Amino acid sequence: MQEVLVDKERCLGCRSCELACAVAHSASKTLLGAVGEAKKPLKRIFVHQTEAGKIPLNCRHCAEAPCIDACIAGAMHRTAEGVVTNTGGPAECTGCWMCVMVCPYGVIRSEIAQRLAVKCDRECLDEAGEPACVRACQTRALKYVEVDDFSREKRERFLISLKS
Amino acid sequence: MHIVIIGNSAAGLAAARTVRKVAAGAQITVISDEPGPAYARCLIPEVLAGSRDLPGIGYVGADFYRQYGIELLAGQTVTSLDVEKRELTTANGRSIGYDRLLLATGASPVAPDWPGADLPGVFTLRKADQAAAAGRWARDCASAVVAGGGLVSLKAAYALKERGLPEVTVVVKSPHVLIKQLDAQSAALVEKELAKTGIKFVYGVEPVAAVKGPQGAVQAVELADGRRLPAGLVMVGKGVRPNVELARRAGGRVDKGIVVDDNLATSLPGVYAAGDCIEVTDMLTGDKTTSGLWTLAVEQGRCAGYNLAGLPGSYPPPLTRLNAAQFGALPFISAGDVRGGDETAVYQDGGVYRKVCFRDGRLVGFIMVGKVDRAGVYTALIKQARHIAGRLKDKVAGGTVTGADIVYSRTVPVR
Ligand SMILES: Cc1cc2nc3c(=O)[nH]c(=O)nc-3n(C[C@H](O)[C@H](O)[C@H](O)COP(=O)(O)OP(=O)(O)OC[C@H]3O[C@@H](n4cnc5c(N)ncnc54)[C@H](O)[C@@H]3O)c2cc1C
Repeated sequence: MQEVLVDKERCLGCRSCELACAVAHSASKTLLGAVGEAKKPLKRIFVHQTEAGKIPLNCRHCAEAPCIDACIAGAMHRTAEGVVTNTGGPAECTGCWMCVMVCPYGVIRSEIAQRLAVKCDRECLDEAGEPACVRACQTRALKYVEVDDFSREKRERFLISLKS
Repeated sequence: MHIVIIGNSAAGLAAARTVRKVAAGAQITVISDEPGPAYARCLIPEVLAGSRDLPGIGYVGADFYRQYGIELLAGQTVTSLDVEKRELTTANGRSIGYDRLLLATGASPVAPDWPGADLPGVFTLRKADQAAAAGRWARDCASAVVAGGGLVSLKAAYALKERGLPEVTVVVKSPHVLIKQLDAQSAALVEKELAKTGIKFVYGVEPVAAVKGPQGAVQAVELADGRRLPAGLVMVGKGVRPNVELARRAGGRVDKGIVVDDNLATSLPGVYAAGDCIEVTDMLTGDKTTSGLWTLAVEQGRCAGYNLAGLPGSYPPPLTRLNAAQFGALPFISAGDVRGGDETAVYQDGGVYRKVCFRDGRLVGFIMVGKVDRAGVYTALIKQARHIAGRLKDKVAGGTVTGADIVYSRTVPVR
């Protein structure tokens, strides 16, 4: 499966990824259009300031995803492509926030009024199959790669899991 | 290899899925005493409310059992196990052999011991058919009393209001609702939100009897202090008890629930157990307790699935307090130990409340009301049991910690 990996040495914190993510999830799919939309488009990637610098974080689509375990509605599921999402599955999200409670990365948003958990769903791939956040990253701090392509040392530099 | 799973819910299905994933050729049979395919048990309040029907809370797709090659025997009660012969018997006299067996039998509501508890109109809420029956009964009622201030009781009260009952009163023995999950301040916010719908609360007293009306059904609830509350419907939420009888009668070890080892094996040969029916060790207190959560049932089901398939894997002591919900416009999450701890940080601003509890420099619990984003980072910090100090601690206390902080924090885990 392909993953969005983060090279923490390269992120300047420009937030282009956040913007691109929100736009890709807007109705119009354009920046100008997105700004005016009644339902504010929501980003699913978050650039955080840490002691170690700026770090963009989004869903890792965990192999044993705690959000799927926790979903009492049966909405959170894994697609055939390996994407963990709460839309388009066997049941509807009811906004119970169980997934928000267990996601160790804190990358599932709670849309309280809509009663909907909002997360990275990969509904943003371009013709080349690249996610909007990766495409927007000018410093190549974000890369979209087949995870197995990475040699061990290379992976060391990248954020791949909490355990690392 | 024939793997038989008793229980068609969180634990049973997680196990079945896992077995299929790791042992493609295994024969899998799932038995349930409830009719039909699995449903989202936690959503039965919606059936009570009338906002969804049973198919509307389905937990798996229509094609699930076929797709996973699972034989589902629904509507069949297992009455005994013969662990020597590796065979079980159902209520209709059928014998089913197995190579390995999983008990994922869940739990049942604790029945009230008051006089009148068996009157028509007195319900508990655990199964979809109970929710549907209570919903039908509620149509002709003007008033309901809900006994208990736990999460299931509050969901029931909220659902009865949605159903349109004019009078719904929750009787809570404790000084506030959700005594296990919340403190007084946060409970007050939840109560206020529920009260907006017209739900009333009575504290510090317990029902002692259900009173029979002229039609033979319940018409009121009598409280310990002598008060009588009119009640055409009574919903009793006094917690649940693990379904351990099959294991016990087969000679298996049972304490707070079915006793299992690290691999979720019971004391009976070839028999595993997972979900609400087992006893677990709480990771924070080290105490033996019941499991009682959907999340844990799924985790355990998956772990049991590996073991059933012959791939040993152990189940670490879980965090047994882990709840999230929303009433009205108010979401809340509570995890871990929210009353103990030697240091707490509290933030409140109107309808937003946050409390984090530390013990010996580690995060042991938190409450979030009104805003719940990034709660999972706090849950992860509790589970990691790492020492939290300095800037990280400030962020945790201040509600600004993010996933990025814990991925890169330089603090070392101590265990
Ligand atoms: C209204 C309500 C709201 C809830 N909300 C939450 C929540 O928000 N978060 C949370 O974490 N948890 C919640 N829970 C608890 C959650 O539903 C349970 O923890 C979970 O269902 C446990 O799953 P399980 O698979 O262990 O058992 P169960 O879901 O109880 O399933 C047991 C299965 O075993 C079968 N069975 C039992 N005995 C036999 C027998 N002798 N023969 C044949 N079949 C048998 C039953 O038919 C059933 O299929 C809620 C529960 C209720 C009732």
